[in-house]
Amino acid sequence: MRRELTITKDAIDELALISGRQASAGMGAAVQFLGIVRGSEEGSAISAIEYEAHQRMAEHQFNLLFDELEKRWPLESVRLVHRLGVVKVGEPSLWVEVVSPHRGEAFAACQWLIDEMKRVVPIWKKPL
Amino acid sequence: MRVTVGFYSYFKELTGCSQTSEELPPGGTLGELYKQLAGRFPKLAAMERSTLIAVGVDYQDRDYVLKEGDEVSLFPPVQGG
Repeated sequence: MRRELTITKDAIDELALISGRQASAGMGAAVQFLGIVRGSEEGSAISAIEYEAHQRMAEHQFNLLFDELEKRWPLESVRLVHRLGVVKVGEPSLWVEVVSPHRGEAFAACQWLIDEMKRVVPIWKKPL
Repeated sequence: MRVTVGFYSYFKELTGCSQTSEELPPGGTLGELYKQLAGRFPKLAAMERSTLIAVGVDYQDRDYVLKEGDEVSLFPPVQGG
C-alpha cells in the first residue's frame, strides 16, 4: 500500500491533491474526505482553531494506523494531510484519500482511519 | 536516573512550562514519575484520569519501567481532525 503523510502548517491545496490521485486499473474506488473548521465549538462561536501536534509521535502513530489499514482492507494507497497552526473557520484542516478496488472497503477504511486518528494521534485543537 | 518530560496542549498552561526533567531512583516507573510531577504541579494531579503518557513515540502504561534519558510526554486526550 502506497502511503503519503503530511502534517503541515501550510494550507491544504485540495485541487493539487485531487489532481495527484493515482489508481491502477484494478482500482474502482477513491474516497476523499475533507474536514473543515466549524464556526462553533461547544455552542460558542469561534473564528479559527489552532492545531498543535507532538509531530514525531503523530507521524509514528499515523504509520501504525496505516499498517493496520493495510492488514484490514485491500487498499492500493492512502494519503493524509493534517494542518497545524491557525486554521480559520471554513478552511480545511484534514484531507484523507483511500484508493481500493471497491467502494465498501474505501468508505470503511476512511471512516476507521479518521476515528482512530481522533483516538490515538497526538494532535490537539484550541478554539480561537 | 534523569528523564525529560514534555507537556502538550493545555498541560503547558497547567504546569507553566513545555518541558522539564525529573530525577528518579533506578527502576522507577511512569506511575512514580507521575506522582512526583503531580506533587510539583498540583493542577496536573486533578487531570490524572484523563492524562495520556508516551515514552518516545509510543503510548505506555503507568507500570512502564523508565530508563536514563527517556523522553516522556504527558498530554490530555487527543483531538485531531
